[in-house]
Amino acid sequence: MSELLDPRAIRLAEKAADRDDAIRRCGQALVDIGATEPGYIDTMLAREQSISTYVGEGVAIPHGTLAGKDLVKRDALAVLRFPEGVDWGGETVTVCVAIAAQGDGHVDLLAALAEILLDEDQARELREATEPETVIRLLGTIQEETES
Amino acid sequence: MPTRTVTVGSATGLHARPAKIFVEAAAKAPVKVTIRSGDRKPVPAKSMLSVLALGAKHGTEVILEAEGEGADEALDSLAELLAKDLDADHG
Repeated sequence: MSELLDPRAIRLAEKAADRDDAIRRCGQALVDIGATEPGYIDTMLAREQSISTYVGEGVAIPHGTLAGKDLVKRDALAVLRFPEGVDWGGETVTVCVAIAAQGDGHVDLLAALAEILLDEDQARELREATEPETVIRLLGTIQEETES
Repeated sequence: MPTRTVTVGSATGLHARPAKIFVEAAAKAPVKVTIRSGDRKPVPAKSMLSVLALGAKHGTEVILEAEGEGADEALDSLAELLAKDLDADHG
């Protein structure tokens, strides 16, 4: 799990025209680091149409459908920050934590992310992060927790 | 206090989609419902982040609690929802 968060998939000055564009960028980051096949992006869009992945605190967690699992080559995260915000069905999303997961390991991962977001200070730090190191420090605890 | 103990039925656990469906249903309940797993502190069932933080997987036992008028009915329908495979409808 130490490879879960590849620094190349932390992109903190992104711009997106709309929600779908933001999801495509998230998916592309996962493709770029070799975590998923390009087809995974379409399943991420399908998932979002089925139900919003907005979780609160300005954060969404785009991920593929169950059918998309076959297109996942390895479990990975991508963190994309949209400083200008993206309209997400009425909510404003600043940070996307995109997920590629094969098994149910991402339930632990989501739980750890939720713990971070429930802490107002950490949630703000994540939304305002401009350096990849900040994201790695905040989300690094996720990797430790999911390993145990 | 009216209580229901439920085993999570969703194949991939109480993660994004099943959690969202459950949280939206809990928000519509006429009473305040809490959910907890094991010895952990009860959290509001209508809070997406709190429910995600439970990290409940398929087969995890969770406890729902509510008080007030309509509590039993609300708990029954939420318990039924949790026991179902909420991932089954869409791929």
